Amino acid sequence: MLIITLVKGVPARTTQVQTVSGVLKREEMELVLNPHDAKAIEAAYYIKRMVGGKLICLSMGPEPKIVPIMKELYEPKEDSRLVPRICFGGVDQNILLSDRRMAGADTWATSYTLAKGIQKIIQLHLEAVDRLEQAIGTAELGETARALHLSGLIPHHIYSELPAIKDSLVPRFLRGDIGVGDLRRHLQEYRENLMRFIIIAGMKTTDGETGNTGPQTAEALSQMMGRLIPSVAFVREMEISPDGDHVIAVRSIGSIIQKLRIPIPCLLTVHTEYEPKIPDISLQRQVRVRGYIPQRGKVEVWNADFIGADPSKLGLMGSPTIVGPGYEVGRPPAQKVVGESLIFARDVERTEWLGKAYGPFKAGELVSNLPQDLVEHLRSRGLIRVFTLEDMIGELFGGLKVVARAV
Amino acid sequence: MSLEQYRDVWAYCVRDGDGLTRPSLEIISAARRVADKLGQRAVAVILGYGLEKVLDEAIAAGADMVVYADEPWLSQYQCLPYTRVICEMIEKMKPYAFLFVADELGRDLSPRVAYRVGTGLATDNIDLAVEDYYFGPTNTTYKNVLAQIRPDFATRVAKIYTPRHRPQIASIRPGNFEPLRMDPKRRGELVRFNPQPVEEDFQVQIIGETRRPKSAIDLEGAEVIISLGLGILRDAEGNPRNPREAFQLASDIVKLLREKYGLRAEIGATRALIYSELKELEGLITSERQVGQTGKTVSPEIYLAVGISGAVQHKVGMIKSKRIVAINCDRNAPIFELAHYAIKEDLYRVLPRIRQLLDGG
Repeated sequence: MLIITLVKGVPARTTQVQTVSGVLKREEMELVLNPHDAKAIEAAYYIKRMVGGKLICLSMGPEPKIVPIMKELYEPKEDSRLVPRICFGGVDQNILLSDRRMAGADTWATSYTLAKGIQKIIQLHLEAVDRLEQAIGTAELGETARALHLSGLIPHHIYSELPAIKDSLVPRFLRGDIGVGDLRRHLQEYRENLMRFIIIAGMKTTDGETGNTGPQTAEALSQMMGRLIPSVAFVREMEISPDGDHVIAVRSIGSIIQKLRIPIPCLLTVHTEYEPKIPDISLQRQVRVRGYIPQRGKVEVWNADFIGADPSKLGLMGSPTIVGPGYEVGRPPAQKVVGESLIFARDVERTEWLGKAYGPFKAGELVSNLPQDLVEHLRSRGLIRVFTLEDMIGELFGGLKVVARAV
Repeated sequence: MSLEQYRDVWAYCVRDGDGLTRPSLEIISAARRVADKLGQRAVAVILGYGLEKVLDEAIAAGADMVVYADEPWLSQYQCLPYTRVICEMIEKMKPYAFLFVADELGRDLSPRVAYRVGTGLATDNIDLAVEDYYFGPTNTTYKNVLAQIRPDFATRVAKIYTPRHRPQIASIRPGNFEPLRMDPKRRGELVRFNPQPVEEDFQVQIIGETRRPKSAIDLEGAEVIISLGLGILRDAEGNPRNPREAFQLASDIVKLLREKYGLRAEIGATRALIYSELKELEGLITSERQVGQTGKTVSPEIYLAVGISGAVQHKVGMIKSKRIVAINCDRNAPIFELAHYAIKEDLYRVLPRIRQLLDGG
């Protein structure tokens, strides 16, 4: 089974983000794996250990930033800053969609691009079967199968030289143990299985925070493939049937907890609270033969032409939404420090002081930008005093009518 | 088809029992506000089965019209059939804007709807406005577009526009619009849709539905959150303290806020505190309470950060709180950068006084 995980690089420090007219300038920031994607990889690895297959991570973004992250997805370094320790083991291939034309994409254009990438992944695996079938009856069959196997495009049960996997299909055929009809039938079965893929995504990213890309990728892929690929967001528990036919998933939707039977192919996004089940160890052998040779250390980089994307649907120009100007809101305009800040004890009218006018001021207002001697003067008259905990509680909860429930 | 032909502001409403959910009433209110600015209608969209009781409620809550589909096969929420019905409604009636609630259902449904009709989706908005937007690349000014205002990267908000596509789809974070006062005398139009089920939409089977237990900690819905961090392990002099004491103080305050002030109050925690798995806090401080990047994003009226230094990962989860109180004896704690109120004192002295003050002392 092709198990495709969607991953993204997000700014390591979400508070220091450089934007150029509202668009993220990702090249200038350090990127790390989106923390929610670790859950997606865990879920994908669970599926791989249950039914066998190839765990592929697919991403889109600037090559220099994403490639180091993806390399560590095969095996993170000690104390990695890019990838959390929990998400390693089992990644067979990393593919990055990267092209200047893809930059500035919103979730619509991102989903379109990712779906094109997924389609390409499936297509390459189908073409590998085509090449094998064309080689049947020629002297090249063994060599073709070997090359495809090494590049991770066909699984062990079709061709393998690993000592643990003795009875793979092509060698058996070459030895004369099975006939050409059997070989073709098995390949046809495998071809059909390639259409039973599963896509896993994190529930959202920590930069955009939308959670749109998962469901939208399923919709984009549905349109491209001419069949509906269901999407289920916020999966909290999940079990896959050992035959890879469907998953049973639990998710909450408002006040309702739904238990769903989802046929494969499908797309799931996993909730933060998801914890993978322990895979059934008795399945180990059949799982192993369905595996592929991992492409360790390599990150494939595909551009828009390679995946056959329509350039008008990519990046900034392919995005229906436009990010307008942003503005800072984080820092409060004025901070009141209990026991330190000075506030006006009562309403104070407009006051002349050494030829300049100040005020008027409202009771409770923070004293700022007043000449020190004026402050002393007002303080001596009891018009200014120190802000207290009582004041704070009064400001927060005294005007409770604002927040109090009607019922 | 020209953009001007798209009219009315739709709000996707969710029924819960005999009524509409509170966030549904909030987005009717939001749709009302936008529609009034444009001289258009506010429309509630409801899908389900046995909807008689809630249709009038949507009108009373401020809608001019309810567009609904009332079918047995829509009785339980499912993404694919709901997406199809909603897309058919859009196709037929061509709304100017379409609002969803940014909750689990809205986030499951609205992305597929937006992709299928080929329009933009602005997620998690906290406010809406109508304005003209100049788009440089095509040198065009788009009149009366929806400015969809959402939090952006921790300390900023951004305006998102969907100038060239319709409807402009936006999900609205709960708690940012006040529902309008119910007016049972309001009149409105009810438009029933009669969609046909399509077999392919029912590939996913619901094999069980249960109601989520109400006792669950509801951080997202809380009006006041008191969050605890690793600072509760010591007092200002550096002496170790039993963190259970701080938890008890916070619980007392939460209880007062709930019972005496009628507020939805909860205790939150930082990832650091949860993952230190202290024996004293076993079963009390669990991951359900985690606020921050890998936990929950909250936006209560009041957020009290107690003994929290303010790591970025925590800040991004609570920065949208309306008023932030930071209590920390470390005068340089980064949490103070965000605080509207700063208390640079020993939390073990401050919390009992807050409890006393709230209790009418």
